[in-house]
Amino acid sequence: MNTRDLVLIALFAAIVVVLGLIPPITLGFIPVPITAQSMGVMLAGCIIGAKRGALSFLLFILLVAIGLPVLSGGRGGLAVFAGPSGGFILGWAVAAYVTGLIAERFVHPGNSEARQFVGFFLASLIGGIVVLYAIGVPWLSAVTGTPLMTAATGSLVFIPGDLLKVAIATLAARAVYAGYPLLPARA
Amino acid sequence: MLTSLYVEGQSWFHRVPVRLKLAALIVLSVALFATNAPLLLLPAFLLCGALYLSLGMSARQAFSRVGFVLFTILVLAGINLFLVPLPQVVALILRLTTLVLFAAAVTATTTIGAFMDEITILLKPLERVGLLRAADVSLALGLVLRFVPDIFARYQAISEAHRARGLPIRPMTIIGPLIILTLKDADTIAAAIDARGFRRQ
Repeated sequence: MNTRDLVLIALFAAIVVVLGLIPPITLGFIPVPITAQSMGVMLAGCIIGAKRGALSFLLFILLVAIGLPVLSGGRGGLAVFAGPSGGFILGWAVAAYVTGLIAERFVHPGNSEARQFVGFFLASLIGGIVVLYAIGVPWLSAVTGTPLMTAATGSLVFIPGDLLKVAIATLAARAVYAGYPLLPARA
Repeated sequence: MLTSLYVEGQSWFHRVPVRLKLAALIVLSVALFATNAPLLLLPAFLLCGALYLSLGMSARQAFSRVGFVLFTILVLAGINLFLVPLPQVVALILRLTTLVLFAAAVTATTTIGAFMDEITILLKPLERVGLLRAADVSLALGLVLRFVPDIFARYQAISEAHRARGLPIRPMTIIGPLIILTLKDADTIAAAIDARGFRRQ
């Protein structure tokens, strides 16, 4: 890993911290506030690729663990991992990796714009939602003793907000790809 | 902007070595999940609660740090009431709350420096196999802390620019420029790091 990759990893982790400082948007029809931070997973994979994206989130998780209030709402510390949604936080690194793998596979500079949008959309959807919930929900169920099906059904509340994040991440990732492409796996 | 969750203090828990605290956290989490007996869980809960409150924080400060996680636990317990027998729900609340309080106590009594020293030791085996360098991890961590205020200032500048032009402030229109502007700095910063020979490459 060269110094540039190291810096990109650190800067992206810093961007995720800043996304947590942006006030959440509440949409009238969805009861859950949309924080920009959990969109960072999709953005990291789509913008700096699988390896650097995952390392960026490992670094972010390290910041949480050593007691910096870097999660949205000023949360942080080991208590977050001990709580029921610890699996979602730890799952972020894996989710960013899978998002990156798919994006690297499907999005190429020669593609049409529409094709690039589809690539980023699928990457964000599969990595940022499917993989993340596949880790977070069973974890929650195991820790709290809530039956798996109930935990899964309950998580459906968050899906509309997550889909909106996928849409925003797709647009932002494609904008960055057009303006300053970093995805070609150099790491 | 990023003040650590460490709390200044002189309590005995402040003086326990980090490694011991982290080991205790792991042992506690295994032990708590091994039992459902309220006779074991209740004393553990009371002990951890007392420990957490003895660290020299005001009640309000103490609550605000763990409030969000406790809220999630209560919501899940509320759902569980309809699905799982009552004693098990009680065991769940006690177990998770105990664990969260102990974890919060570790966070409140350990400085970032102490955590970093411990992490450097934990990374040593990875360093020996050549997977990563412990110095790189500290460098990356330092870079994050250094650049968060800058990036936040940049975010505010971009939203000011939106406001000045009468554009609505939407994440979609802000995140793109924010990321491009930030990541464009990477080359300059990397060149500065290499010029100073920090990574000895």
